[in-house]
Amino acid sequence: MGKKLKFSLLAALASLALVTAAGAALRSGAASPSTLVFATSADPVVLDGALISDGESGRVIIQIYEGLVGLKPGTGFPAPGLALSWSPSKDGLAWTFNLRHNVTFTDGTPFNSAAVCANFGRWYNFTGSFQNPDATYYWQTVFGGFAHNEPGSPTSSLYRGCKAVGKYTVRLFLTQRSASFIAALSAASFSMESPTAMAKYGANQGSVDSNGVFHPTGTYATQHPTGTGPYMLKSWKVGDKLELVPNPHYWGPKPHIQRLIFKAISDNAARLQALESGEVDGYDLVAPQDIPTLKKAGFQVLSRPPFNVAYVGFNSSIPPLDNQLVRQAVAYGLDRQSVVNSFYGGRARVAQEFMPPQLFGYSKKVQKYTYDPNKSKALLKQAGLTLPVKLDFWYPTSVSRPYMPDPKANFEAFAAGLEKAGFQIVAHSAPWRPDYLSAVNSGKAQMYLVGWTGDWGDPDNFIGTFFRTPQDAWGNFKYPALYALLTKALGETDSAKRVAEYQQANELIMKFLPGVPYAHTSPAIAFRKGISGYVPSPVDVQAFSTVSVK
Amino acid sequence: MLRFVVRRLLLLVPIMVGLSLLVFLWIHALPGTPAVALLGERATPQNVAQFKRQYGLDKPIYDQYLAWTKTTLKGDFGYSIEDRRKVTTDFFERFPSTVELAVAAMLVSVLLGIPLGFIAAKRYGTWLDHSSLVASLIGISTPVFFLAIILKYLFAVKLHWLPTVGRISPLIDTPHPTNFYVLDAIIQRDWSALWDVIKHLILPALALGSIPLAIVARITRAAVLDVQNEDYVRTARAKGLAPRIVDRRHVLRNALLPISTIIGLQTGFLLSGAILTETVFARPGVGTWLASAIAYRDYPVLEAGILFLSILFVLVNLLVDISYAIINPRIRYS
Amino acid sequence: MSAAQAQAAEVAFETPQTGLWRDAWFRLRRNPAAIAGFVFLALFVVVAVFAPLLAPYKPLDQNLKLIANGCCPGPSAHHWFGVDRLGRDELSRIIYGARYSLLIGVVSVSVGLSVGIVLGSIAGYLGGAVDSLIMRCMDVMLSIPGLLLAIGVVAALGPGLWQVMVAVGVANIPIFARLLRGSVLAQRENDFVLAARSVGVKRRSILLSHILPNAISPVIVQGTLALATAIIDVAGLSFLGLGDQDPSRPEWGAMLTDANEYLQIAPLLAIVPGLAIVVSALGFNLIGDGLREALDPKLRGRVGFWRQPKLEPLSERVAPNV
Repeated sequence: MGKKLKFSLLAALASLALVTAAGAALRSGAASPSTLVFATSADPVVLDGALISDGESGRVIIQIYEGLVGLKPGTGFPAPGLALSWSPSKDGLAWTFNLRHNVTFTDGTPFNSAAVCANFGRWYNFTGSFQNPDATYYWQTVFGGFAHNEPGSPTSSLYRGCKAVGKYTVRLFLTQRSASFIAALSAASFSMESPTAMAKYGANQGSVDSNGVFHPTGTYATQHPTGTGPYMLKSWKVGDKLELVPNPHYWGPKPHIQRLIFKAISDNAARLQALESGEVDGYDLVAPQDIPTLKKAGFQVLSRPPFNVAYVGFNSSIPPLDNQLVRQAVAYGLDRQSVVNSFYGGRARVAQEFMPPQLFGYSKKVQKYTYDPNKSKALLKQAGLTLPVKLDFWYPTSVSRPYMPDPKANFEAFAAGLEKAGFQIVAHSAPWRPDYLSAVNSGKAQMYLVGWTGDWGDPDNFIGTFFRTPQDAWGNFKYPALYALLTKALGETDSAKRVAEYQQANELIMKFLPGVPYAHTSPAIAFRKGISGYVPSPVDVQAFSTVSVK
Repeated sequence: MLRFVVRRLLLLVPIMVGLSLLVFLWIHALPGTPAVALLGERATPQNVAQFKRQYGLDKPIYDQYLAWTKTTLKGDFGYSIEDRRKVTTDFFERFPSTVELAVAAMLVSVLLGIPLGFIAAKRYGTWLDHSSLVASLIGISTPVFFLAIILKYLFAVKLHWLPTVGRISPLIDTPHPTNFYVLDAIIQRDWSALWDVIKHLILPALALGSIPLAIVARITRAAVLDVQNEDYVRTARAKGLAPRIVDRRHVLRNALLPISTIIGLQTGFLLSGAILTETVFARPGVGTWLASAIAYRDYPVLEAGILFLSILFVLVNLLVDISYAIINPRIRYS
Repeated sequence: MSAAQAQAAEVAFETPQTGLWRDAWFRLRRNPAAIAGFVFLALFVVVAVFAPLLAPYKPLDQNLKLIANGCCPGPSAHHWFGVDRLGRDELSRIIYGARYSLLIGVVSVSVGLSVGIVLGSIAGYLGGAVDSLIMRCMDVMLSIPGLLLAIGVVAALGPGLWQVMVAVGVANIPIFARLLRGSVLAQRENDFVLAARSVGVKRRSILLSHILPNAISPVIVQGTLALATAIIDVAGLSFLGLGDQDPSRPEWGAMLTDANEYLQIAPLLAIVPGLAIVVSALGFNLIGDGLREALDPKLRGRVGFWRQPKLEPLSERVAPNV
C-alpha cells in the first residue's frame, strides 16, 4: 500500500509541476498589440468629475471626458480644450469662450454653449447633500458657494452666471477678478458631461446614509458616464477591473489602444510584481527603490516633471514653535539633503520654498537653510531654552505619496538628525486616513510630515492654498501682510506684477518659516518595453489616447 | 435527534444577540471620525464640522443601538465610506472570492494532509514519521503572510510559473453569473479561463492551507494510531482481512470522525487567515476589504465584515456539531 | 519484536508511581523533539536577555552613508546580516527583537491565562447560572474568529505594541476559560473532592488546593502553545499596520512588514525576521507538544517513547488560535 501511494503522490506532484510550467509558457497575459493593462493604486470612486477629488478617479475621468480648458501635454499650463480660445472682459468679471465645433457626446447629444451652461448651472445649483465638502470639493475650492447655500456651505461664490451667446460662444460671469480661474478649469472636476445622459441616468440622484457617507443612487456615475473624450466606458467591476474602449465619434485623433484596462492593486510591491510577471503592461506610483530593478530588467521608467512639494509643517501656535528662532533651529536641524539622497532613488531635489522651480513666481532669493546642528543649538540657546528641546513630530502610516514614498523612513532619518541638533523628538503616527489628516488639519499636530501635488499651473494652487488665509494646520499665525499680498496676487491682472508678487511672497514665507519644505520629486511610472506615447504630466493628467503598443 | 438540533439552534439566539451587542459597542469605541476619511488632504475643520452638522453624528448611544438593530435586521448595513457603495453589495460581491480561496485551502489541507498523516501513522517511529511531525510543527509555527510572501517571491516573481495577483487575468472576459469564478468558468465551458482561475488559486491556497494541512496531518496520524489499537481492528486483522481493506473500512472511517471535527474548526482560521493571504496576493475578497477598512476607519464595512464572518463561523460550527451528532450517536445525549 | 518481548521491555521501563511531574519530566527528557524545543527556547531567552552584550551595534544607530547607493548592502564583515534601509545593523536588530518577542509572548499569554483561569474555575466550580452566563460570554467571544477578535480589540484601543499584546491576550481568554472549566468540572466529582466536602473543607480551599493543581496541566500545555501563536499573531497584526507604532523599535513583525517593500532588492531583510519568528514559535510548539505527551495522565505508568500515544479527548484538544 505504501509504495503505491508514495508513487502516486509523486506522480501527482510531478504532473502538477509540469502542467504549471506548460501553462506558464502559454501565459494568458500575452497582450495583443491593441490592448493595455495598467495597474493603479485604487479603483475610482465614481466617474462623475463634479463629485470627485481623488487622483485615481481623475485618471479614468480624463480619458472619458474633456473640459473647456485643456493642458499643454506634459505641463500644467492651459491649452485649448473644448474651448478654442477665451478672453476676459475689461473689468475681468466676464470671460467669453469660443467653443470647438461639431463635437458630440457619446450618446449623440451635441456639445454646444447650451451644454456648457447646463454643466455650470448643474454645479452652481447643487443642493442638499451635494454641497457636502467631500462631494464637490473642487467647485468649493475654486468658486466657493452655490445658488442656494445650505447652512455650513461657503457663503459667497466666485460664480455669478453663464450665458449661451451663440451656438458656439458662451460667456461666464464672475463676481470678482481671478487670474487662476482659467487654469483651474483644466481640472477633471470641470469636465463637460452630457446633459441628456445626466438627466436620463439620474446623475443628480444621491443620498446620504446614517454614517454621513455620500453616494449617488443613479447609474450615471458608475455605468453611464457620458463625455466627449477619446474613450468610453465598456465595463467596470469594482475590485476587479475597469475597461475602456475608443469613442467611435471622437472629434480628435483616434486612440491606438482598443482595449484599455485599469486594474487596481493597492500594494506597491504587488504592482511591481505584476509588471515583472507580465500580468500588467504598466503601473503608476513606482517606489523609488524599485527603479534600478526595473531598469535592469529592461522596463521603461518614465518621470513626471516635479510639481509637488514635501514639507515639514509647524503649528506655530504651539510653543516653542511660536518662536521664530526655534523654527529656524528646526530648519537648520533637518538633514534634508540626506533624506532626499536616501529615500527618493535620486529622483528628488531639496526644496528651498513651498512651490516647485518651474512655476512662475519662484524666487531665487529666498533664505536657504543647510543642515547645521551646531547652528541649531546656538539658535535654541539664543532663544533662551534648555537643551534638549522637546517636539511632537507626526508622520503617517499606511500610505505612500508621490512626494513621500516612505514616510516612516523620512521620519526616522529626520528625527535622528534633529536629535543631534539639540532636540528631543516624541514620535506620533496615525493612518493617513482619517486620523493623520484630521490631526494635521485640525492643528493637533505640532510638527508633521505632509506634502502637496499641484492641481494646475498657478502659484496660488501652492502657496495660496497654504497661506492665503489663516488655517488651523499652520496654527492660524498672524501675518496680515502675507495674507493680503497673496489675496492681491490672486486677482492681479498684470502678469509681470503678479510674478513679482509671488516671488516676494515666497521670500517672506521662507523668512517666517511656517514650515520647512524639503523635497520636490519626480514620481515615476513604469511600462514594459514596446509601449510608447505616454506623456507624463506634472499635474497628473495623462491621456492614454496617444499611447501605442508594439 | 430533532431535540438536539432544536436545542442547539436555540442556543444560537443569545449568542447572536451577544455578538451584535459586542460588535455595536465596539464600533462606537473606535477612535477617529468618518468625515475626515472622505476628504483626504483637504479635510479642513470647517469642512468636517459642516459634515458632522449635516448628518447628525451626535445622538446618544442607546438610541443609536436601537436604530442600528432596526436597520441591520432589515438588511441595511449602510454604505462603505471608502468606495461609497452599499456594504451588503460589496460583501456579497467579494464573499465568493474568499469562499473559493477557503475551499481551495481546505482541499489542500485535506487532500494532502490526510494521506500524509495516514502514511506517518503507518510508518510510526520511522524517519518519515518524525520528519512529518517536525514539518507539521514548522508549518504551524510559520506566519501565514510570511509563507505567502516567500511562495509568491519564489514561484511567481523568480520562476514566473504562477501569477502574482488577482483571481483571473485582466485580459480574460468571461461573464461571471455566480461570481464563483471556478463555477462560472465551468458553466461557460471556458476551459482556458478555468485554468487561469485555478492558476491564480494555487499559491494562495497553499499559503492559507499550510497550517490546516499541518493540523489535519497531525490529527490524522494521531487518530489513525489510536484506532489501529482498537480491538475491532485487531479482530479484523486476526480474521485475515487484507490490510488495505482493514485500513479503508475500519481505520480510516473511524478516524475520519475526529478529523472532520477539526476540519470544521479550521473555518475560523481560514476566514481570518484569508485577510493576510488575500492582502499578499491582492485578491479581491472579504479579507482585503476588511484590511483596507481597518486602515480607512471604514465603520460600516468593519461592522458588517466582523458580524457576517462571525455568524458564518457560528453556523459552520453548528453544522459540524450536528453532523458529528449524526455520525456519533453518543454525543446527542450528552 | 514480538508482543511478549515488547511487554517485557515495557515492564523494565516501568517506574514506580512517583507523581505526575516526575513522570512527565522523565518522559520529556527522552523526547528528542522536546529537547530540540528546549534548545531553541534557551537560545531565544539567552539572546533576549543578553542582547546588549551580544549585539555588535545599537539597534537604533542609523548610517545613511551606507545606503548612499540605494538599499541595501548585503552581508559583509562589519554587518553579518547586512543593513536595513536606514543603515542600521540587521543582526543587532534581530537580537534586540528577541526581547520584544519574548515580552509579547509572556504578556499576551499572561493576560489570557490569568483572566481565563479565574473565569473558568469560577464557572466550573460554582456551576449553575454563573457557569451558564460566563460560558455564554465566552461562546460569544469564541464566535469571532481569533485574528478578527484581536483586530477588533486593537482597533478600539488604538494601535500600539501593548494594545496588540492585550488584544491577543483577550482572544486567548475564552480558550483558557473553557479549558479550565472542563478540567475543573472533571475534577469536581472526584472522590477526594467529595471526601473533602463531606468533611467540611471550605469551597474555596478545595478549589485552590485540590482541584486547581490537578487541573493545571492542560493549561500549561495550552500556555506554551499559546506563546507560539501569540508571537505569530502579533506579527500578523503588525503586517496589517496595527502593531507597534514606534517606527524604530526592532520588533520582528514590524521588520518583516517593512522589508516587504524591499523584497526584490534585499530579500534577506524579510527572510531573517521571518525565520526568527518561525524558530521561536517552533521552540514553544515543540515544548508544548512534548509536554502534552509527557503530561498525558493516560500514559502514566506506561513509560516508553515508542509506546503509541493515545488520542486525548477532543474537549482538551484546542485548535491553535490563529
